[in-house]
Amino acid sequence: MLPTITVNDEKCKEPISCRKCLLICPTHVLGLGTDVGPQKFREIDPSHFIVRAVRFDKCSGCMDCVNVCPQNAIQVSFSGGDAR
Amino acid sequence: MCDWCEKYGNGYERWYFNPSNYARRLYKIRKEEAEASGAEANPQAAGGMAFVGRDFLEARERGDMAEVERTKQQIEGAMWLTHFGQVITLEEALKITDIMYPISLITCACRRSMEGLPDDENFTCMGMGAGMYKWERWPDTYRGGVHFLTPDEAKEVLAKLNKRGLVHSIYTFGTPYLAGLCNCDYPDCAAIRTAIDLEIKILWKGHYVAKIDPELCNGCASCVHRCQFRALSFVPNRNKAYIDQLQCFGCGLCATECDQEAITLVERAGLPALANVW
Repeated sequence: MLPTITVNDEKCKEPISCRKCLLICPTHVLGLGTDVGPQKFREIDPSHFIVRAVRFDKCSGCMDCVNVCPQNAIQVSFSGGDAR
Repeated sequence: MCDWCEKYGNGYERWYFNPSNYARRLYKIRKEEAEASGAEANPQAAGGMAFVGRDFLEARERGDMAEVERTKQQIEGAMWLTHFGQVITLEEALKITDIMYPISLITCACRRSMEGLPDDENFTCMGMGAGMYKWERWPDTYRGGVHFLTPDEAKEVLAKLNKRGLVHSIYTFGTPYLAGLCNCDYPDCAAIRTAIDLEIKILWKGHYVAKIDPELCNGCASCVHRCQFRALSFVPNRNKAYIDQLQCFGCGLCATECDQEAITLVERAGLPALANVW
């Protein structure tokens, strides 16, 4: 079953200096992108980095990312319902 | 035969030994290229998943193979025009260091994305061609900049990365122009992951297939952790390593680790069942 994984970018401000969720995920689901795409000079500003579940097909639903996030910014749900 | 050798080999043994595939013109029409690659359509392109949407994964989950196949062909068609790779052996990579210029050690975009790896820990990728001068000129924009290498220095780096267990592969940036010699591992490499998890051929198998000589294999299992493609396992009852040749990408990492010389690389083209398995 495929999950819906959302990250609240308002809460997750500095993912590149935190990266706790990237490193704890047992199946390496989460990755960093930017909210401006490949745009010179803007894409290197840390405030433009965002966390997304780029490999969510491998999510087991263990909730380690949800629990490790100091900002409570990550939500993982299966079959549309909120898992937490 | 390998499609790319056929199209872009121009008489060379492999398409990536053809020097003209390293000689991209100095200018390009950026906008058209970005649109063709879908970069603008997906702001999360830096995550390395620009082409694979939820629709594909849902179709896959409900077993709609026609839809899976359709999307797959669409993705592959677009990627083969712009940016895809092929696995090469260490020997081939070493040979390429005498063709590519300038040779630059740069940061790996995949590991930056999947691990958030700081630039100074992330110099595992090699770039080449005129574009590298931009990386030198604007090190902030191009994340850590470049270290230019001589061919001998590049050979040393490649041998070290091979020892670490990283797979060498060569990538087009605007096919057939080759501009990246990557050193990859699962699961953080977007190409390996897309190729073996989603079976979308963004990374082509190499020209070789690994083969075990059961007489010589002493069961030490030191090769087993070297395979990044789920092709190598261990058979406890026989106390031998086992290679699934249909799954093997021909990188040769298992062979370079075997001190019994029990693993050899054979030409894919010489095996009728595998000659067209890329």
